[in-house]
Amino acid sequence: MAVEAKHDVVVIGAGCAGMRAAIEAHDAGADVALVSKIHPTRSHSGAAEGGINAALGNASEDDPETHAYDTVKGSDYLGDQEAIEILCQEAPGDVYQLEHWGAVFSRTEDGRIAQRPFGAAGAPRTAYAADITGHVLVQVLYEQLSRRELKVYDEYFAWRLVVDEDRCQGVICWDLLDGGLKTIGAKTVIIATGGAGRLYVGTTNAYACTGDGMAMALRVGVALEDMEMMQFHPTTLAPTGVLITEGTRGEGAYLLNSEGERFLKRYAPNAMELASRDVISRAEQTEIDEGRGVEGNVLLDMRHLGAERILERLHGTRELAMTFAGVDPIYEPIPVRPGAHYHMGGVDTDVWGRTELEGLYAAGEAACVSVHGANRLGGNALMETITYGKRAGAHAAEWALTHTTVAVPESVERDAERELKQLLARTEGERPWRIRDELAATMHENFGVFRREEQMARQGELIAGLRERYENVVVQALELGFLLELATCMVVAGRARKESRGAHSRPYDFPERDDVNFLKHTLVRWRDGAPELDWKPVTMTKWQPQERTY
Amino acid sequence: MSEAILYTDSPTMDVRLKIWRFDSTTGDRELKEYEVEAPEWATLLDVLDIIKDRVDGSLAYRKSCRMMICGSCGMRMDGGAVLACKTRMADIVASGRVPTISAMGNLPIVKDLVVDMTPFWSKFRAIGPWLRPGYDRPDDGKEYRISQERMNVIHKESLCINCGCCVSECNAMESDPEFLGPQALAKGMRFVGDPRDAGTVERLEDYNDSHGIWDCTRCYYCNERCPKGVDPRDAIAKLGAESIKHGIDRDMGAKHAKWFVKSAMTTGWLREAELVPKTQGIVSAIKQTGFALELARHGKVPPPFPPHVAERVKEARLLYDLVKEQGRDGALGIVQGEHALARIEFLEEHGARLNAPEIQPGVEPPHAEG
Repeated sequence: MAVEAKHDVVVIGAGCAGMRAAIEAHDAGADVALVSKIHPTRSHSGAAEGGINAALGNASEDDPETHAYDTVKGSDYLGDQEAIEILCQEAPGDVYQLEHWGAVFSRTEDGRIAQRPFGAAGAPRTAYAADITGHVLVQVLYEQLSRRELKVYDEYFAWRLVVDEDRCQGVICWDLLDGGLKTIGAKTVIIATGGAGRLYVGTTNAYACTGDGMAMALRVGVALEDMEMMQFHPTTLAPTGVLITEGTRGEGAYLLNSEGERFLKRYAPNAMELASRDVISRAEQTEIDEGRGVEGNVLLDMRHLGAERILERLHGTRELAMTFAGVDPIYEPIPVRPGAHYHMGGVDTDVWGRTELEGLYAAGEAACVSVHGANRLGGNALMETITYGKRAGAHAAEWALTHTTVAVPESVERDAERELKQLLARTEGERPWRIRDELAATMHENFGVFRREEQMARQGELIAGLRERYENVVVQALELGFLLELATCMVVAGRARKESRGAHSRPYDFPERDDVNFLKHTLVRWRDGAPELDWKPVTMTKWQPQERTY
Repeated sequence: MSEAILYTDSPTMDVRLKIWRFDSTTGDRELKEYEVEAPEWATLLDVLDIIKDRVDGSLAYRKSCRMMICGSCGMRMDGGAVLACKTRMADIVASGRVPTISAMGNLPIVKDLVVDMTPFWSKFRAIGPWLRPGYDRPDDGKEYRISQERMNVIHKESLCINCGCCVSECNAMESDPEFLGPQALAKGMRFVGDPRDAGTVERLEDYNDSHGIWDCTRCYYCNERCPKGVDPRDAIAKLGAESIKHGIDRDMGAKHAKWFVKSAMTTGWLREAELVPKTQGIVSAIKQTGFALELARHGKVPPPFPPHVAERVKEARLLYDLVKEQGRDGALGIVQGEHALARIEFLEEHGARLNAPEIQPGVEPPHAEG
């Protein structure tokens, strides 16, 4: 195996964060390439439906400071305030740039970018393109990628980071179409591989979302931050968790229990259906657990919006409901329930996307900057991919252009090759899907919307057992290997956080937020084949923790 | 137990299907039949997953989002392109049908259901798929000011997820593999119709070259098979209309189309005898005189003299004037495809006012007043 190519900057993952990072690095003068196990336009960023948050002030008065405050509060005060302020300040300019590149946004009466209300936001701040905002952004970024003729190693499965002299210097990949390992050297590497929703059986995430980048970083000793913080989206379709956008509630849809009651009046009397996602998911789960659900669901009712509005602004949502639930939302409410959606946690980075390993960066859902803290607001994920993708791209390019060498020691390649050969040669042992399904089902049961100490402890043992059983063939198995390590980190961090904050809810033993002991981030590093827990303070600038009500 | 069965108590069904297996390294091709138990809500993609997990791990296909947005899982079912994740199996099973699954058409097969998308993407790139900024960039650095009505012109084209289903079914591409094809041209219309794009004329010139818009045979299979309602054939028609509006009519196809309009306006019929000279030119027409006379002798074309004028030709002329008056030039003059018509009917039935994106700006749809 020889080094396939060398570049200044290599971006792993080609969703919104990865493509935006690559464009920025290229424009800064670096030689850039992307590595992705699926073609860029197949990326799961395209499934983001509702929109992207920026204080443009097109629908009502708004400013970046209000956006920042909403985000801090939404994060249950675990978000780093410096990172949040940067995001909210740079967001409007970054959205205008997307529009100048050709993003097909929906429009206001006076021809500006349209914005809709979203959960826990003080103003209608979510810029949107009907209910296909992510798709529109993926398209426009891929168009810009094409214009710049950037190299994409597409259908290359990134498996292992190359570290030499305490620097990240490339990535070893499995070429999915031609087979074989390929090494791509780089002065800087940006991880933009998205989330790990496939840890759960009911998830909005694509099959591709197996947390590859997080696990690769973990394996070279880099810390993962706030891994216990997995967001459950309140409106996903049974049985597999297909996403129904928060935009439905932004447009005015109701959530009803089996008695036809808008139950949120008992949980979030002011914001109602536009409360924060963690709040609504808990409310739904409580209704379902207390017997007021409808076959394990609650009902999302948008009939009162009328056919015209549904067809114009929620066309894709109607199509999803009809295809996957057999329900036409013009006539019937859609059965929905909480499903695993977004990882607030990820690779620990600073506000330029830098990790603790020189030359290694991360952006987007794979990273934890942290702008979302313990709970992300709808519409902030796409914004983070763009703004922090851009920043990571800029810094990675600058570093690469001021450093000259790339070295990939042969021993690294040989090791990888040997390990892969062993995997391929294995003919006995379990098929990966059994372990995968067991992991996904038990995570849902034991590390879901509500968490109990004894269940989390049991899950920890269960994962350890699964890791022992884990052995097998190529890609699916490599992905599963990543997931098992991430699940381990999540359980370790979740048990250590003995409080309820944002997505981490422990109503049975620690029902309250505990700012005295736990207003801090968890960090998990991998040491000698086992997770090691550490803590990191929250960066605060303007806002002290308050009681959080909606 | 599968992931699906663990998660729901859904009743199951026995699914049977045949899959064309293919190995490009050996060239071996084999139609294999499978039978598996799947939950009743299973899609074709879920069934393939069950087969791959439990029956044959070597089965190759692409997948990712399983919610009709990533465009990975295009393949053929009984000879027509579908997205596997959008295809529910229950009705097929109930009907007793045993569908045959194969790789998409018009693209080389790599393995089983995986095709080489390289030709697809090279055509995508050939149309210059990025905005060429030009005019009216706002001084304040903010967004361009564009009405929703104006953006609606490219609404359908911007729904495209690059799955390749249209390309798979394209008849023109089958006879001319160089044809730019429905996906690339729909993408082209996405820019031609965008008021922010300053490259309209250059684009239209490019798309009018050989292997361009006039190669389309108008079979409408692309509209039929597109899983997202993009209606690529309509986009190609819009490009044709925009070309003629901009005076780009050098291609026979354009001349052909123009003569149809002229014929209908003057006589209410197609003036077939003049069609060849008007489309292909005098020289070509003379060369084909013998053939034309043969056709006339067998009654296949009406004699050119006396001119054959329809009884109610005035109506045809009025329609022509009406379209002109409404300013439905270029793309705006194109009547939309079946998806749009279905939607109009739906709205009419349910008494909603028409304001749907499929409808062109400023124009009442053809039969909205009924």
